[in-house]
Amino acid sequence: MLVNYPEAAHWQVDPSRQDLVDEMRARPRGPHSHDLQRLLHRMRWTGVGKRHVLITLDPGRRWMLARLPGQRGAPVETFPNRVFTSLIEAEWTVFAMRWEALTGQKLD
Amino acid sequence: MRDTTAVLGYAWPLVVSPGETVSFHLSSPTLDAAQVRIVRVRCADPDPDGPGLKLSEPGSAIDGRVALRDQPVHPGSAAIIADRPALNAPSLAAGCFIYPTAPLAGPQTVMSRWRADLGQGWRLGLDQAGHLVFEVAGAAGAATLTSARPVLEREWVFVGASYDAASGAITLIQRSLDRLGGRDSSSLTTGQAPASLAWPTETALVFAAHAFESGADPLTSGHFDGKIDRPRLFREPLSEETLRRACEMLAPSPADPALVGAWDFSQEMASDKVRDLSTNRLDGQLRHMPMRAIAGANWDGSVVQWTERPELYGAIHFHSDDMADCGWQPDLALKIPADWRSGFYALKLTARESSDDPVESYVSFFVRAPLGQAKAKLALVATTATFLAYANSALRLDQVHAEAMLEGVIALSRDDVYIQEHRELGLSTYDTHSDGSGWCYSTAKRPILNMRPLGNTFNYVNDTHIIDWLEELGFDYDVITDCDIDRHGAQLLEAYDCVITPSHPEYYSRNMIDAFDAYQRGGGRHIYLGGNGFYWRIAWHPTQPFQMEIRRGMSGLRTWEGEPGENGLSFNGEPSGLWRTHGRPPQRLVGVGFDAQVFTRSYPYEWLEDARDPRVSWLVEGIDLAKPLGDFGLRGGGAAGLEVDRVEPTLGSPPHLLRLATADRLDYGGVPTLEELRTLHRGTMGDQNALVRADIAFFPTAAGGAVFATGSIAWCCALTCNGYDNSVSRVTGNVLRRFLDPAPFEGFDD
Repeated sequence: MLVNYPEAAHWQVDPSRQDLVDEMRARPRGPHSHDLQRLLHRMRWTGVGKRHVLITLDPGRRWMLARLPGQRGAPVETFPNRVFTSLIEAEWTVFAMRWEALTGQKLD
Repeated sequence: MRDTTAVLGYAWPLVVSPGETVSFHLSSPTLDAAQVRIVRVRCADPDPDGPGLKLSEPGSAIDGRVALRDQPVHPGSAAIIADRPALNAPSLAAGCFIYPTAPLAGPQTVMSRWRADLGQGWRLGLDQAGHLVFEVAGAAGAATLTSARPVLEREWVFVGASYDAASGAITLIQRSLDRLGGRDSSSLTTGQAPASLAWPTETALVFAAHAFESGADPLTSGHFDGKIDRPRLFREPLSEETLRRACEMLAPSPADPALVGAWDFSQEMASDKVRDLSTNRLDGQLRHMPMRAIAGANWDGSVVQWTERPELYGAIHFHSDDMADCGWQPDLALKIPADWRSGFYALKLTARESSDDPVESYVSFFVRAPLGQAKAKLALVATTATFLAYANSALRLDQVHAEAMLEGVIALSRDDVYIQEHRELGLSTYDTHSDGSGWCYSTAKRPILNMRPLGNTFNYVNDTHIIDWLEELGFDYDVITDCDIDRHGAQLLEAYDCVITPSHPEYYSRNMIDAFDAYQRGGGRHIYLGGNGFYWRIAWHPTQPFQMEIRRGMSGLRTWEGEPGENGLSFNGEPSGLWRTHGRPPQRLVGVGFDAQVFTRSYPYEWLEDARDPRVSWLVEGIDLAKPLGDFGLRGGGAAGLEVDRVEPTLGSPPHLLRLATADRLDYGGVPTLEELRTLHRGTMGDQNALVRADIAFFPTAAGGAVFATGSIAWCCALTCNGYDNSVSRVTGNVLRRFLDPAPFEGFDD
């Protein structure tokens, strides 16, 4: 069997790397530096179970934050108060939530 | 937000000719009626930055209102043998080999003649902890035996049970086939049940589930995930040794008076039948297409193709979530008027139109140009094989690498949210079953959410940008389909001067690739406006239309990997996997072949020296070769992106091919396909590796034919930018006009 184990992602996140946060804030959709790529892959790969996603409300215009349940058949958790009008804004928001989850540091 | 799932349906047949009738099978758990309109699809993409949704209404006899009903789906495969007198013997011994693939998923039944509604009969199965159980029950009482140790996941084990009606003695056998390295879970359990139990009447014998009701075609429950090999049933209790020997023998003596049934799953591999070798002829019917042509308990690696020694492939892999046919009753039927143009069509269903959650759902079908009756010189292929391969993909929901692969937070559609919660529709060949094994079959007798207007932006929706562009520029064309190319071969293609394969013609049967090969050799002109085409080798079912099969094998960009020895197609016995590994790489057919994915963004092409060759001056007419080609597009901002192909002479790109343009600076988002890597080093990604690229190629073929290939999925979504007035549109138009001109291509003979 060919299996992807989310816990196999083990790039060490350094909470002091404010430069990566600043870079992400400046260019949420890239292009990204080598270290920011690695941070993003760590975040995106390990997000299983409670993976944040968007639900398209209005194609190309509005998206709502949501979270996958990590179980087939279970409903998607939605956050109707977290609606974005740009994918860049959404990308930054998800990054900030994951940064906080990984480092304990809340970003503005 | 439009509700795209409150009513769902499928069209049957999926592809129809004018004069033929298509029926619509609909279901809604919440609506009792909807308005319906037939629409012809020009652009299925609601993206406000593109041409927008463009649907026309030809007017049909069924336009109006349709009453709706809830038609449930009952997934889970099984083999069902209708009740016969031979099954009613008071005593029994049952045995088989099993390979459980989700033993902890819940109680499951392997072999049964059991009525769940009555709680009577006998069943051999697993309990929720993975222990083998044998249960007997009748009006006089009941008994259950449970094995001492649970079975192991993905380990073969011989299982058997017997009941002696005279004494009430019951036995449960569990013998691991491989007892090394902690793999032994064997046990023998005996017990006592009431004697002379009476079995329920009109009860089907079922493999991989049990009946929930009486009758020859009952609803089933308790579905088993795993393989079952060589099931045998006797009318008297047998010793473990005798029962096991009977299961190991490929063909137990049909003259054995105690033998009730001995099933051989290696027979009629493409069918939905299972054959009994005993004189009772207790043949059965498969439900929901469990996986056939898979390695049995006796497979030893001596062959890897089931056709070489079918007797090693006498197992079937059943899945509790197999789904091949919703079995919904039809609600509407439409005879296609003779004057309708071929094309992408859909039944549009609307309801709650004035609410803030209006229903807008579609059921797709295709109207083909009839065989031998070409209406235009140009044909556009509807890639129904690819649409089926991706049908109801849950890749972004289930596979943990999806967000990393797609290089950004995932945006789900309402369809995706529905699929997450409604797995009963059956998934795509990119997905895994709930037991982790790959989906190898896909059918059209079910709603396919991503093959319709408003669906996700891949394949079907992307391809409609080509339709929109053809309509806008006034090109006349017929629509033909993959399934018809497979059935009718080159004769279908040769009616056309030029054929366009669209954004992602990825799945090809041998008949299809042979048809294009013959068409090109015979002077046909082929425009390939996509990426990652002609990649996987598939089969269409020999008699059941719109059923396709893929085995992923152990190479290629695959979301699951085929099991060892199981990469031969059950539908036709051919190997599956990549065409590249079968000596037919895409480069031999269209000059370019898949080499990389790039989802960070899409890129422009740079023109190469070949573009200045006077023999292709017609191709670049009106184009500034000093400027980038396609530095715009609806998918990632460029024309080269998503999945890309390159020219590769070692894989068969023709010697006199002109490599006109390239996008070979795909940056770190460009990731090479797996078959492109022989050894590993850190320099293989797009930011360091010019083999990660998209190429545009042109070459003439024999007898005045020619091929033009763009090698990028993103290409077609750049056609319509700037009001259709752009370099991608101009080049495509130049090529199409020239390809429709029968004049041969001069100067390539040397």
